[in-house]
Amino acid sequence: MAERIKEHPILGIPEKGTLVKFTFDGKEMEGFEGEPIAAALKAAGVMVHRYTKKEHKPRGIFCAIGRCTDCVMIVNGVPNVRTCITPLKEGIVVQTQYGVSAEPFKQ
Amino acid sequence: MKRYDLIIVGAGPSGLCAAIEAAKRGLNTVVFDENEKPGGQLFKQIHKFFGSKEHRAKVRGFVIGRQLLDEADRAGVKVVLNATVIGLYQDKEIVVKIGDGIEHYKGDAIIIATGAAENMVTFPGWTLPGVIGAGAAQTMMNLHGVLPGKKVLMLGSGNVGLVVSFQLMQCGCEVTALVDAAPRVGGYGVHAAKIARTGVPFYLSHTIVRAEGEECVTGVVIAEIDSHFQFIPGTEKHFDVDTICLAVGLSPMSQLLKMAGCKMEDNPKRGGQVPVCDEYGRTSLPGVFVAGDVSGIEEASSAMIEGKMAGIAAAEYLGYIEEEELKKELVSLEDALNGLRQGMFAPENRGKRIETTEEGIAVSENLLEHGFITEEEIERFPGITHKAGIHPVMECTQNIPCNPCQDACPKGCISIGDKITSLPVVVDGSQCINCGMCVASCSGQAIFLVEEDCGDGTALVTLPYEFLPLPEDGTKGKGLGRNGEPVCDAQVVSVKNNLAYDKTPLLTIKVPKEYAMKARFFKAL
Repeated sequence: MAERIKEHPILGIPEKGTLVKFTFDGKEMEGFEGEPIAAALKAAGVMVHRYTKKEHKPRGIFCAIGRCTDCVMIVNGVPNVRTCITPLKEGIVVQTQYGVSAEPFKQ
Repeated sequence: MKRYDLIIVGAGPSGLCAAIEAAKRGLNTVVFDENEKPGGQLFKQIHKFFGSKEHRAKVRGFVIGRQLLDEADRAGVKVVLNATVIGLYQDKEIVVKIGDGIEHYKGDAIIIATGAAENMVTFPGWTLPGVIGAGAAQTMMNLHGVLPGKKVLMLGSGNVGLVVSFQLMQCGCEVTALVDAAPRVGGYGVHAAKIARTGVPFYLSHTIVRAEGEECVTGVVIAEIDSHFQFIPGTEKHFDVDTICLAVGLSPMSQLLKMAGCKMEDNPKRGGQVPVCDEYGRTSLPGVFVAGDVSGIEEASSAMIEGKMAGIAAAEYLGYIEEEELKKELVSLEDALNGLRQGMFAPENRGKRIETTEEGIAVSENLLEHGFITEEEIERFPGITHKAGIHPVMECTQNIPCNPCQDACPKGCISIGDKITSLPVVVDGSQCINCGMCVASCSGQAIFLVEEDCGDGTALVTLPYEFLPLPEDGTKGKGLGRNGEPVCDAQVVSVKNNLAYDKTPLLTIKVPKEYAMKARFFKAL
């Protein structure tokens, strides 16, 4: 997890709690329980959360506080979940969202 | 339908302060907040705040957040989290989305303290993953311990852009450039200076032409703009970055007030659509109050005072206190608030060009155009004095409401006086004991301790250094000038990190004596 802050000059060593496993598009990944799903994905280097329905453009984290809805994904089969404010839990299934579906566009 | 004396929407600095004051006076109070945790944006603020003691100056934002939560607990404030208020109706009724349900409440008084949302700007590629708000960067790095990117371009030189740029460097990111379409830096000069001296270039009168990349940001092109905000051909500059951070202002989140039928106005000096309200936050609807950024963009320090005022005003409105007590309590709060609204960056001065300080000294134009003060300019400010032995050099050149330095010095070497915005001066005849408290207490990191001539051709410069890794005694490197360029060889001769410095370690570097007034940062080889 190269993208995590190991030690911060003001905040010290981040207290992150329990490491849990989840899947992203079928791949097993790790993150800390309770942190936003988006934080775990970002730490693992995942940038694209979804592709827009009409123009198939990639979207990722933008506001990180649940306002903009750019970071929505399919979580445990439910589409449009704001991953920046949804806590990570052991065993959840996270999928890239294409339009509002987990099925990649055909073209 | 449940009923409360007072319902507060938003558990940020103003909402919590309002709740504490109201609960202390006996009001049955509830606070709803859409977030998982209370405190609003305070827990993302890791820098020391400006102001005076009564504004909790030199305390870091997240520490203020903890203090407020403790106070709220002691006062018995009830905070309901993950609770989004989605409607404010006639007769002070609200509906709240909690989980998958909608709940209905009525308050005899309501305080809206919903804060503000970040603005954005559009350019080709602005929707690419890797283009983020400055607040998103703070959320990722300061709350969740995740790097927002490795190489970042910051758009916006207001205080948010400046403070977040510094924080990005603190967590280990490289800030490639700081860009603003305005011709001058918008935020405090001291915030700009502490970034510029690390070597970050400032591009004023520039903005983003396009973000590059297919799946995510791989680069950015900026260009200079003319006075009509048109790109000047041939001025394009390309940077390899993986992140573009937008810090282009905030807008009040006043939708609930508009929905409820409050009289609104469009006021650019307050940040956009805001409710018409009096100085205590009373809106056109009796019993509906506002506090904090929702009624005009300022900062957390003023939001906390506004929150207290609204909480006390609500107590008076409901008859928990007499009008006399209201007036008495509000006088001191008004003074505190007015203190914060003084100086060059006062709300009334927004958009104005200020050419001289209150003391009649010409401001540093280079600070405004490039983020640092030139050697020619620096000598004219009163914080810069020369004498034998160790003494403070205060590169504080703009009138901002801040005075912790004068209280920090146990020997009374530094004076600001009664007017909080005055530039600090070194008191005649005072004796510096090299304790470093002034350096660590300066929220703008603008104070240095300098011994200009050690007698052996060298000089000592003590500077604040809030970065990792912290160099050790004996580390060799370069002294950097105010513009971040290496100016001389330098060696660390002391590293102090006392508890009293509150996580602002002090580095003392030895430099050739001609560089005593030039070297302002250290870079290890």
